[in-house]
Amino acid sequence: MSLDCNSRCLDDSAKLKMARGRSLSVSRRRSAKLEELVESLSRAYNESVGQALERHEYNFVLSDPRLPDHPIVYASEGFLRMSGYERAEVLGRNCRFLQGPGTDRQTVLEIRDAIREERPCQVRILNYTKQGRAFWNLFHMAPIYSKQSGNVIHYVGVQTPLSPNLASGVPSHVQQVVSGTVKELVEDQSMETGAISGGCSQPAERPINLRLRGGAAEGEDMGQEEHNDNDIDEDSCVVNDVLKEKAALAMRLVTCELTQSSRIKGDLAQNRHIALSECATSGVVCSSLMISLTRIQQSFVLADPNLPDMPIVYASDVFCELTGYSRDEVVGRNCRFLQGPETDPKAVQKIRNAIEKEQACTVKILNYRKDKTPFYNYLHVAPVRSSVGKVAFYVGVQLEVAEIDTDMSQEIGMSAHAKQLGAVGVVRVAVRSLQGSGLRRTLKRTV
Amino acid sequence: MLTIKRVETVVSINQQLDQAPGCGRDCLGNCCIPGAKLPLYTFGVKRTSGFNKRAHSGSDDHCVPEDTGDSDDYGNSDSQQDNYFLDELLLAQWEDRMVRGLFRYDVTACETKMLPGEHGFIAQLNEGRHLQKRPTEFRVDQVLQTFDPKKFNFTKVGQEEVLFQFGPSEDDISEYYEKAPVLASPNVVAINVSPIEYGHVLLVPRVLDRLPQRIDQDSFLLALHFAAEANNPYFRLGYNSLGAFATINHLHFQAYYLAAPFPIERAPTTRVAYGRKKGGVKVYELTKFPVRGLVFEICNSMEDLSEAVSNACIYLQNENIPYNVLITDRGSRVFLLPQCFAERQARGEVDQEILDTQVNPAVWEISGHIVLKRRTDFELATEEYAWKLLAEVSLSHERFEEVKAACLKAAFEQNSEVVLADTDGFSTVLSNGGTYNCVERANPTLKGSQKTNSSMDAVVPGNHGEGLSVEG
Repeated sequence: MSLDCNSRCLDDSAKLKMARGRSLSVSRRRSAKLEELVESLSRAYNESVGQALERHEYNFVLSDPRLPDHPIVYASEGFLRMSGYERAEVLGRNCRFLQGPGTDRQTVLEIRDAIREERPCQVRILNYTKQGRAFWNLFHMAPIYSKQSGNVIHYVGVQTPLSPNLASGVPSHVQQVVSGTVKELVEDQSMETGAISGGCSQPAERPINLRLRGGAAEGEDMGQEEHNDNDIDEDSCVVNDVLKEKAALAMRLVTCELTQSSRIKGDLAQNRHIALSECATSGVVCSSLMISLTRIQQSFVLADPNLPDMPIVYASDVFCELTGYSRDEVVGRNCRFLQGPETDPKAVQKIRNAIEKEQACTVKILNYRKDKTPFYNYLHVAPVRSSVGKVAFYVGVQLEVAEIDTDMSQEIGMSAHAKQLGAVGVVRVAVRSLQGSGLRRTLKRTV
Repeated sequence: MLTIKRVETVVSINQQLDQAPGCGRDCLGNCCIPGAKLPLYTFGVKRTSGFNKRAHSGSDDHCVPEDTGDSDDYGNSDSQQDNYFLDELLLAQWEDRMVRGLFRYDVTACETKMLPGEHGFIAQLNEGRHLQKRPTEFRVDQVLQTFDPKKFNFTKVGQEEVLFQFGPSEDDISEYYEKAPVLASPNVVAINVSPIEYGHVLLVPRVLDRLPQRIDQDSFLLALHFAAEANNPYFRLGYNSLGAFATINHLHFQAYYLAAPFPIERAPTTRVAYGRKKGGVKVYELTKFPVRGLVFEICNSMEDLSEAVSNACIYLQNENIPYNVLITDRGSRVFLLPQCFAERQARGEVDQEILDTQVNPAVWEISGHIVLKRRTDFELATEEYAWKLLAEVSLSHERFEEVKAACLKAAFEQNSEVVLADTDGFSTVLSNGGTYNCVERANPTLKGSQKTNSSMDAVVPGNHGEGLSVEG
């Protein structure tokens, strides 16, 4: 089929009109609700954290990787001023809205991989304000871990713009001209920051892995053509040591406030206390894996067969909606609590047999919600392996069906059962790379 | 003539069978196609080029930003960026085939690990991928070879291995048809029954036209659309030319999911100054990577990116330089990698220890994902080994400089001088040394007549009369 609509296409489309077609509904992904954003903070920190964070003038955000699409849960005043957004426009959204046409893709890959490896990163990235103005941003991101579970609770993202002209609304292609003054301004600011002594500051031993692209291409028209963000002069934004130190200091101070405001005393830390592989063996679903799981729109659970009685270690929001249980009521229990008086034991046995053979199976089984009302569950269960090739989880994808005799084959478009299999596929891809140590680099990092 | 011996990868079950054309086997041949129904996915095509927003505002973590219904940051709303249906469909269909037992082994049961070191090479132990049958001889010094209908090709694939047809919608809306008639010249997505990773599929443009393994404008653009439509940074496409470890001489791309960056994606690059911005494409060169190559990045037009890369590929093909292509980042970043491993192997220039690991460095290996057949190799694999293997693949510095210059010239200067031919077709196009494809573009009737020719003579450059010179 060529991309031009030639006569063959018309014949084809005539044929297609006879086929049962369906325009794809845009698959809207669920985003975090306001209560979840609030709870993300209140669960981790005590009441003093709000004040503590407001004391600082830095531009920073907190994001929660365990909520859908890794949203921002807190944004400082400085961040809002820098970016030009209102708080309501920012909370609940993923930070990527700061990216734009000129943003370097490898830099985005670097950030994405830092989240995947659950480690800090520092990059120079081209960001955009709400008004569409581009600015170079020294972006420093670091996780806050729970000592007890080993999991990442939040990511702190500190932004240090490299151009002081941002607030004055100077168009970006003119910023090239004023680049000479950047250095002077930065030096002025450094005199202030030098005076701040953070109570828990440590010398910046973390190696800063700064991604700097090669210099701007010669022979390309720069600035003389129509305003084009792709040609932002990279050399105009020098990242010198002073700036790096300023950014590192901001990160240290903010992180310090957070760890000191931990709701469970002493639980939060800047460094990982439990390795990812250990987290896995204790049934903790790590944050980078959870990011992939929260994109699934089906009702499903993950159960860990390597723990006693194969407990649920993750349950999706839709599962909770379907069954009426909260996530806390479910995690740690074996799924048999969904069974009840009229549940057919043969269906249960079929599941058990499949699990023994490490095979997938599909059954229609009668389950019960928290309020004891029954529903028919077209359940698909499958073993999911991690990078070492062993079964790390069983995934159970639930589908409520009206009656036991519902014919699952008569649907238009992608059938509900196909969607169940799709959910399994997403879990497989994620677990393969992200469970346990997974496919992550084992770099020595200074602490 | 240079040849090497290697074990052919089985990508379809029927490949292992004898060469009888597959009647009764529900294949894609003329025997079985009439009346057949396959799912069809049509992707929306924007007729005006705007910048590829998906590359930026699409998900980094597979999720879509909260959509309040307001227009997005860039001042226009675009529901296409929210579209994850193809991703869902692919995974669902693949899992379905897994449940039905169509794969030769469970790839998720194959151990895989990231090798220690900063580059993050990925090694997999896969003992089931390669048959224990004797290796066959492959010619390594001819990138363009005529299609041989007697050999295995994708029309012999069983329909159960086909996941769906894939092609453009008439407008900018993507659609899915569960049961559609087989289109006149369908592009199909089929499973690879010897997968390297979960979701390993083959994209076969115009499968019924039986095109040989060589890139052209349309097929490359289709591949980019496939990557963009899947909308997943961990779903990548690859292409191997003949002589660069393509197994089957029937035009196809491969793709699969791996939720980790490839070393090649991490590799630092330097911007290559190339002439006019009219090209609408950014070009970089790999640095600090064992294989020398070019990286093409989209500016705002997928068509521009496609045209530049495919022109460069066509140049390499015509010059008989084997090469591999990797498409990443939702179709916005393309790596072009000329290579010479097979030629060196045929000349006995490759280190024996490397040869003993029996790795054929095709696009995935070059990207940093290496499948090993023997446990000892897997246990002992290191970043140094990976680097050493790939260093044998790369063109030398001098040779690469030559090839790079010529590729860039072909990529950006070619199309601006193609003129529409008169009916003669052959003589006027060639002001800058046209290739077969330039003629094809200029003269649509040639394309049409190509379809009805037998597959043998349609594809050899220079067979269409005097006056057609292949750029030397």
